[in-house]
Amino acid sequence: MKKIEAVIQPHKLEEVREALKNIGIDGMTITEVRGHGRQKGHKEIYRGMEYHVDLLPKIKIETVVADSRSEEVIQAIAGSARSGKIGDGKIFVFEVADAVRIRNEDRGEGAL
Amino acid sequence: MSPVEQIAQRSDQVDAQVASVFEQTQPRVTLAAVGGYGRRELFPHSDVDLLLLIDSQLSAEEREPVAEFLRLLWDSGLRVSQSVRTAAECCEIHDGNLELTISLLDHRYLAGDRKRYDQLAERFPKFLNAQRADIARHLCQMTRARHAKYGTTIYHLEPNVKEHPGGLRDLHVLHWLSLLRNSMEAPPPAAPEFLFETRIFLHNHSSRDNNLLSFDAQEAISDAPAAFMRRYYRSARDIFRTVVPALDTNEATGNSLLTTFRDWRGRVSTTEFTVARERVLLREPGLLRTDPTAISRLVQFAARHQLQLAADTERRVREALENGAPVAADWENLRPLLILPHSTLGLRALQETGALERILPDWKNIDCLVIRDFSHRYTVDEHTLQAISILESLRETTDPLRRRFADLLSEIEQPDVLRMALLLHDIGKGGGTGEHASVSVQLAGPALERMHAPEAVRSAVLFLIEHHIDLSSVMSSRDLSDPATGRDVGERVGTIERLKLLTLLTYADISAVHPNAMTPWRLEQLWATYLIAYSELTKELDSERIDPLGMRPDLAWFLEGFPKRYLRTHSEAEILRHHTLARQRLPAMDLFRAGGAYRITVISEDRPALLVSVSGALAGFGMNILKAEAFVNARQQLLATLTFSDPHRTLELNPPEAGRLRDTVLRTLEGKLDVAALLKKRRQPALPGNGRIQVSVAFNQKASDRATLIEIVAEDRPGLLYDLCNTLAGSGCNIEVVLIDTEAHKALDVFYVTAGGKKLEPALEVELKEKLIGACR
Repeated sequence: MKKIEAVIQPHKLEEVREALKNIGIDGMTITEVRGHGRQKGHKEIYRGMEYHVDLLPKIKIETVVADSRSEEVIQAIAGSARSGKIGDGKIFVFEVADAVRIRNEDRGEGAL
Repeated sequence: MSPVEQIAQRSDQVDAQVASVFEQTQPRVTLAAVGGYGRRELFPHSDVDLLLLIDSQLSAEEREPVAEFLRLLWDSGLRVSQSVRTAAECCEIHDGNLELTISLLDHRYLAGDRKRYDQLAERFPKFLNAQRADIARHLCQMTRARHAKYGTTIYHLEPNVKEHPGGLRDLHVLHWLSLLRNSMEAPPPAAPEFLFETRIFLHNHSSRDNNLLSFDAQEAISDAPAAFMRRYYRSARDIFRTVVPALDTNEATGNSLLTTFRDWRGRVSTTEFTVARERVLLREPGLLRTDPTAISRLVQFAARHQLQLAADTERRVREALENGAPVAADWENLRPLLILPHSTLGLRALQETGALERILPDWKNIDCLVIRDFSHRYTVDEHTLQAISILESLRETTDPLRRRFADLLSEIEQPDVLRMALLLHDIGKGGGTGEHASVSVQLAGPALERMHAPEAVRSAVLFLIEHHIDLSSVMSSRDLSDPATGRDVGERVGTIERLKLLTLLTYADISAVHPNAMTPWRLEQLWATYLIAYSELTKELDSERIDPLGMRPDLAWFLEGFPKRYLRTHSEAEILRHHTLARQRLPAMDLFRAGGAYRITVISEDRPALLVSVSGALAGFGMNILKAEAFVNARQQLLATLTFSDPHRTLELNPPEAGRLRDTVLRTLEGKLDVAALLKKRRQPALPGNGRIQVSVAFNQKASDRATLIEIVAEDRPGLLYDLCNTLAGSGCNIEVVLIDTEAHKALDVFYVTAGGKKLEPALEVELKEKLIGACR
């Protein structure tokens, strides 16, 4: 199993969810996060005063899928979250040792 | 069987069960029931509070039967909560465990050595006599902390019927305070049968000590959950209205410093109202029956001095209203409340007494209304009042992310419009079909008309209500880096003032969903949305011009070439007045009073020093310019509108001075009077020491295709605009567009300037920047 964690632009959330839904991925965790990558925030000028926005608002999507589906999910997220501009985000992929459904203690891919 | 009988019966059953196990195990302790069990109020799954009285520490041998006794009770399904104490230990105050002392207020004998119990029964009242003030004070503190933990409101969508304000715990507090004060001066409200019945249901429904009236439980308990919840809130309101004055009374007797402060606050009393212990009392309650504006004055007094109504005052107002007392329900009477810094206190007083429903009949649609939304925590009416209250507390924030919104709040011109829009923004949630924002608009329109609110207020309030979801939606679903998003928002809001109002309304609306709804993430997104629209609207000042196609020819003659903003910031009546002025011999001017300030409109042939003349003439009279805008049309006529305050009340105290001011402005415009000479006669205003506002002068070459944008932030002072315009004119610059704004002592000036018909050269920028900074000081 793989855990796929994607940090994307907030306005891309609906498109990404739709893309995941289209390939049959319905379960995910969505968090409003703030952070920065290589772009390290940006400068804003308001009324002649310059100030630095260090932490940019982003959305983090987490989902765990069977190994065989991970590439497909990565492509769906990347394809729908891409605008071609700096700040589109990143996708991280982790190995998952096990999964347990709390209600009935199903294990492994059966718990997804 | 009534709920009171049911819980008493359960208590009796447990008595029998406990006695039987006691008989069986013979522990060498005396058993007393305390807490709710002591009061014979035992709900199906409540803890069974037991006091195990001993003479001295138990030996290991004596402990075994006690452990066996407790084990058997647990095994029989009772949730026992026991404390083992000597009578002496019961008569001590235990820091951090006042609950034990409080639980002992309701003790009753169950089993074991009766003499030992009698000792406690004899000693405990003496202990209480000596400590009652201290215990009552601690109890009040605990109660206040509990109320604060739950937002000091009864209007939770999923309330905890025991712990939340207005819940059973508050009934217990009233009971304990009456025991401690040895009196019944604050009798509990009507029999709490309803709450008892609800709690019994919750325990049985979930088979555990569950006191949360969740959405699921609301549906399970009644076929009409909305009506049931209204009944719940009415019951909670009765209890809360009784417990708060009881806390006030007890606290007032305890803390001398607090009492001194409260006595001092009594000095704000007037011929109509007195203030005692932070609560407003009526001197002449009879006025409520005859004077329709008495309630307005009462709530304004409370809001002005940050006070609440006394319980007696609330009762009198309620009774007067029930007996048909008249209430002034027009805008003229409501507006003074809406502009006060603590208007929520007045609005809450109106709501609590039922007067708000008389002023805004549609309020009843959302009174105690539960909307099933997992993210919302409060009823719709409470959400509305919380939103206004959050806006008011914004002034005191020190959080840098929120400070930016606090600055916006201090800049807006129409706090009454913003609060009225908040008051009505969700009024459509009570019914109607379609999106609630449009239903709210449909209800708010006639409500504002009934109140005779001026047209400008009506249109602004309706605009805000109609668009109150827009910014939330943009910030979460649109690409904020896409210029089209800024253009779209800018187009929708039209003016900077409306953008500020809508941003603040969105801030308050999101923040009032629940205490943690306004996360730093949302604060950043909302601010970013504000910025892109602000940038678009200030840019548009220069770029988007009125296209005269399809207009009345005479109007087109006047309007062609003005920025589109002009049409959106002026009413039709104002535009027609400007048009008439433009047809007179130029220069022409118009001076009139607008609210607490004055407004002067000047139309002249475009000449670089026009603003220098007008601003200089006004400064010469000691006037302080608050706002200014100037635009040029295609006929090269300059239309300048300046709003100014008269800090020395010259025009008010000496009416002929208005004529002299008019004459002076015209003569400076015609070049017959030297502004510099005029200003020399006037004493230089004292500059504030260590100017708190840092001067900033920024140039932007990209904002416009043909002019340079200069944004200046500086400490405001009379004559500042004159000095800035004079500096620009003196450097050969032509002012194309100007937009001046002030917030408190801060001047925010935007100029679009050209030199020789082009953008400024870099060398001129450097030179000008230094000069402008100098002019600001």
